[in-house]
Amino acid sequence: MPAGDLQQTFTDGVKGSAESKQPFDTSLLEFLVCPLSKKPLRYEEKTNELINDELGIAYPIIGGIPNMVPQDARLIHRDMEE
Amino acid sequence: MAAPFRTFAGKLFCGSCRVVHAGVRSRIAISSPSCLSSFRSYNAGSEDKSTHFGFETVPEGQKAEKVYKVFESVAQKYDVMNDAMSMGIHRFWKDALLHIMNPQPGARLLDTAGGTGDISFRFLDYVRSQRDRQERRSVRSSQTVSWQEISDSYVSDETEPVESRAVVCDINKEMLNVGKQKAEDLGYTSGLSWVVGDAEELPFDDDLFDIYTIAFGIRNVTHIEQALQEAHRVLKPGGRFMCLEFSKVSNPLLSSLYDAYSFQVIPVLGEVIAGDWKSYQYLVESIRRFPDQETFKAMIEEAGFFRVQYFNLTGGVVAIHSGFKL
Repeated sequence: MPAGDLQQTFTDGVKGSAESKQPFDTSLLEFLVCPLSKKPLRYEEKTNELINDELGIAYPIIGGIPNMVPQDARLIHRDMEE
Repeated sequence: MAAPFRTFAGKLFCGSCRVVHAGVRSRIAISSPSCLSSFRSYNAGSEDKSTHFGFETVPEGQKAEKVYKVFESVAQKYDVMNDAMSMGIHRFWKDALLHIMNPQPGARLLDTAGGTGDISFRFLDYVRSQRDRQERRSVRSSQTVSWQEISDSYVSDETEPVESRAVVCDINKEMLNVGKQKAEDLGYTSGLSWVVGDAEELPFDDDLFDIYTIAFGIRNVTHIEQALQEAHRVLKPGGRFMCLEFSKVSNPLLSSLYDAYSFQVIPVLGEVIAGDWKSYQYLVESIRRFPDQETFKAMIEEAGFFRVQYFNLTGGVVAIHSGFKL
């Protein structure tokens, strides 16, 4: 999947473009875990997602608010990792 | 490309959620096809289960979606409607919750189903006033200082005071957007975070919070027991669970007045103010479906909380339940 497509996916559902630019408060990482595995997450600045590397799940951050509902998350292909 | 991913993920996650619930947390094999099929079959079996959506009986899988639509639809008018329907009394109920909670500076709150931030804003105000009071008291007492106190003050200067923190978690994005905007308008900046998350599957680590609140939210959760277990998990030992929810009015006179008001007036108000009869019809019905004070107390005890007690407000229209994780 080219990076352009990815970018499209992340901005889906965001109404104003200004909304998506709101910064993510990284101090939240201290609290947040994957709701499925209950393990810590990695913040991926490039895509503005919270990643569970073990399960290959990416939780989007929209308007500075992380969306931790598994049904809204995205599965990452293993081979896409660098 | 994203859409098939999402449906796939949805199916997969539905299955794996249940695995997590069953207590097998650390290993979810998502690549194995055999696992997938077993998730599906598990799911198919549970689809027959039904639950309540107001007075309607709906399949369990549909309740969350229906509730989501209700709150998505009312989010913009939520605060206005609360004032109109309760004649402003909801403010007193929320203040009462904070009064009983009596949080101290440095406390960490998880405000579940916190939507538009009402509880978290009160929490931040409360701890700020507590801190100010403590500071005033210490200033007053330090007008006559002993050597011991001076040496103590050097020690305590090194340790920064822990910042109080409120995390608002709601499954509804619309409600959170309204709340976040409100926080910006009211000037709440530090110590406040917003997270989209499910009360039945909290995205927070174990033993993190001093206080867990769920105000007018637990009624809308599909599996209340599951939400209670999650509350127990994320609380620190010694942490307190607090729930503000509509409950049962015992006084027969008040009860008949309340019924008339609920069924005759509230849906009309909903239609007039928010243009949404159905959502407020649901609200009233879901209140009547919710277990009474004693039943709910037993459910909280069942989830492992100790010293569970409740306080009736406005004759039991609303009750505050509280319990501790030990």
